[in-house]
Amino acid sequence: MISNKAKKQIDAWVAKYPEGHQSSAVMEALKIVQAENDNRLTSDTIQAVADYLAMPGIAAAEVATFYENYNHKPVGKHTIRFCHNISCMLNGSDELITHLENKLGVKTGEVTPDGLINVKKVECLGACVGAPMFQIGDQYYENLTADKIDEIVDGLK
Amino acid sequence: MADIEIEIDGNLVNAKAGEILIAVTDREGISVPRFCYHKKLSIAANCRMCLVDVEGAPKPQPACSTPIADGMKIHTQNEKAKASQKAVMEFLLINHPLDCPICDQGGECELQDVAMDYGSDVSRFTEGKRIVADSDIGALIQTDMTRCIHCTRCVRFGAEVAGIMEMGATGRGEDLKIEPFLEEGIQSELSGNMIDVCPVGALTSKPFRYELRSWQMNAVSNVARHDLVGSNIITQTYKGKVKRIVAKDNESINETWISDRDRFSYEGLSHENRLLAPQIKVEGTWKEVEWNVALDFATRGLANNVFNTHQTDKLGALASNTATLEEFHLLQKILRSVGSENIDHRLNVKDLDNAISLESSIKLAGLEGVDHALVIGSNLRLEQPMISHRLRKANLSGASIDVINAMAFDFNYRLNSENIISPNQTAAMLAGVLKSVLQNAQVEIPDYLVDIKVNDVATQLAEKLSQSDNSVIVLGEHIVNNPQAASIANLVSEIAQHTNSTTLNVSATANSMAANMTGFVPGKGGLDVNAMLAADLKAYILLDIYPQYDFHHSLQAVEALSNEDTFVISLNSFKDDAVAQYSDVLLPIASFYETSGSHVNVEGEVQSFAAAVNAPSDTKPAWKVLKVLADLLELPGFHYADSTQVTSEVMHQSHKQHVHGESIDVKVKRGVNVIWQKSPYAVDVLSRHATSLQATNIGQINSASMNKATAKKLEVAQDDEYLGVPVAINEAVANNCVFVNANHSTGVQS
Repeated sequence: MISNKAKKQIDAWVAKYPEGHQSSAVMEALKIVQAENDNRLTSDTIQAVADYLAMPGIAAAEVATFYENYNHKPVGKHTIRFCHNISCMLNGSDELITHLENKLGVKTGEVTPDGLINVKKVECLGACVGAPMFQIGDQYYENLTADKIDEIVDGLK
Repeated sequence: MADIEIEIDGNLVNAKAGEILIAVTDREGISVPRFCYHKKLSIAANCRMCLVDVEGAPKPQPACSTPIADGMKIHTQNEKAKASQKAVMEFLLINHPLDCPICDQGGECELQDVAMDYGSDVSRFTEGKRIVADSDIGALIQTDMTRCIHCTRCVRFGAEVAGIMEMGATGRGEDLKIEPFLEEGIQSELSGNMIDVCPVGALTSKPFRYELRSWQMNAVSNVARHDLVGSNIITQTYKGKVKRIVAKDNESINETWISDRDRFSYEGLSHENRLLAPQIKVEGTWKEVEWNVALDFATRGLANNVFNTHQTDKLGALASNTATLEEFHLLQKILRSVGSENIDHRLNVKDLDNAISLESSIKLAGLEGVDHALVIGSNLRLEQPMISHRLRKANLSGASIDVINAMAFDFNYRLNSENIISPNQTAAMLAGVLKSVLQNAQVEIPDYLVDIKVNDVATQLAEKLSQSDNSVIVLGEHIVNNPQAASIANLVSEIAQHTNSTTLNVSATANSMAANMTGFVPGKGGLDVNAMLAADLKAYILLDIYPQYDFHHSLQAVEALSNEDTFVISLNSFKDDAVAQYSDVLLPIASFYETSGSHVNVEGEVQSFAAAVNAPSDTKPAWKVLKVLADLLELPGFHYADSTQVTSEVMHQSHKQHVHGESIDVKVKRGVNVIWQKSPYAVDVLSRHATSLQATNIGQINSASMNKATAKKLEVAQDDEYLGVPVAINEAVANNCVFVNANHSTGVQS
């Protein structure tokens, strides 16, 4: 379930904490394991991480379900992380999300049939100055309009 | 901690510095509402219901997480406190459904009670309430998670007390849910306590679902007889039936917890298999008769087979370990009055020359104060859940725990060392420990230890025991049928003596301490159970025995008792085919909670209890049946008006029987060793008939575990049958050892 390469990466994180506190590395461990499993977590992979860090499965699941960065459903090659918090909302994010959903033909949380794109509503990404905004990969796209979204999405491969 | 003075609502109160405010108000009887705070759990301070006004603090403070300091002035009832409490209450009720009429918690609900005091009569919340899907978490606990207020008591109970974190808080914000991660359901042997700690109707008792309201039932204090603890319970009854059992606080015995076995076994009381009418066997067929006819038949049978032929030494009495102190006493008194010493309760012991008698020298509450424990031959968690819990507490506060077992069991605390060895090596291992202890103490080594080699493990165990100020040696159930059981007990008592350790003998369970106290063992010239079965006795009186579960030599027992010339009087609470086969009279007796009596726990504490309900139908409490039987036999000294007179008679006599030899055999034995242990929920007849308990994961434990090498030697493979039980290949078992956990009748001959 966890590759040797991932185990090595996790071990590096475990080493940063005092002995017996290996469960402190759970967030990074989940991230590492998610990255090598189609960018999502399942109860099996969460349990595997918990076992590896000698912690209860439910404790790892609590962490995995708390943070937005962990995916529990299949995701596309690109995840569009659309902010819907107050600043973006006041600047029309709700309408833009509907526009994006219509364009892609899927709802938030679903993946396009070609497996390329999924949309996820996320909490504030700290870019209120450029609201409304979303994030793809490591890239922020700000001051979005319907046209701008079409252009960006069309450019995704 | 120094004594300080604080002011609560204008009254001066003495307290210790650093105490938590809510503990002080609870002690003083000042009511502060709360949901997440529980005196036995860690502080979460997440429900915010206990907000009070502390002078000088800008905002109201949660009483459950505010340590007190000298001169503090606290207002629990002023406007600021009341306003905060009301605001929190309104907040908590936003998503709580208004379904009290169909909620099992209704009438005993903390949320309902607090809402009466602090809630508003009209909700200002007009939006939709959230709904949470329930998860099926097993046969014992019913979930209605929409009612959950996220106090996390159940989560903390699992992580802190049960020792397995099973429930957790997943998601966040409005999506936060309390749920288990695994779908197999809750595994803990203490899970029912989650029902008790849940302040709302989110977790309720599944067997009790939709049965009754709490105010409709009578509550009777009682004592659970399934293990050596004698947990205090409250039996809640309605129209002569036990409907539910909840824990009763007793800090020195069970704190506030009880095991699932104690909580849910009552279901067996209404099982269709109950024996409800006296029966006699006439020419091979059973006939239901009146009590006087059955008792007359019984006394005539005894007269014909024993008294008229002057063969009183051919009469035997056997009793199950779950009998009450009074029942043990009366049965042995009948036997001794007519001149027979054939009395025994140790039915599961293979070789009684080898029986253990080791005194326990530690109190239950003392267990959590030990700094070291050596557990020998026990799956403690499932055998004695509350004792295991105490040791876990000791472990959490720093005690190191070593284990010598034949299989690696699932302990819910960190072990210092786990030594998995075959039962054939246990005596030799302990001899090594003793030798090392004696060497360290520079005491002369006795002859039987001269040839013993002390290995590293023995040295380390000896060192731990010698260095610890307060260590305990626990002797568990698996030792009972160890080929060197008596030697092991002797070695343990020697080791304890030389290391200043205490001992805890949990090798025989249920009410076996009461049997010992009343002298329910063969006296001078008497036969033990195995000798009786081999000796062609002419008559038996058997007290609540189910041969295929209770006897070690079950097939021989049934055969011996079925002898045509043997007259068998059986007092039973449940029907059983084998019992019907060998008995001549069946006398239906009251089961748990239907009779008054006493339980003696491992520390020797005698706890008496009254009957919670009347014995159903035509059944009678066994102590009364035995008393009447004695009267009919015209025996003197059986004039008891109630069972407490029997109790006081026992308390005023002293029976001390030393039942095992002094010799010590420390040679390693050869061959494959079988440890046969009943599954945790098959230990007594009541638990075996409790359907919900049987449906749990623990209730379904049924396997003969052995490692690959042993399986090869015995020529069996995974899922084959061995001794009538499916084989489970498991490398956690010591070599040359088979660990059998059976939940059904045994066929064991060895």
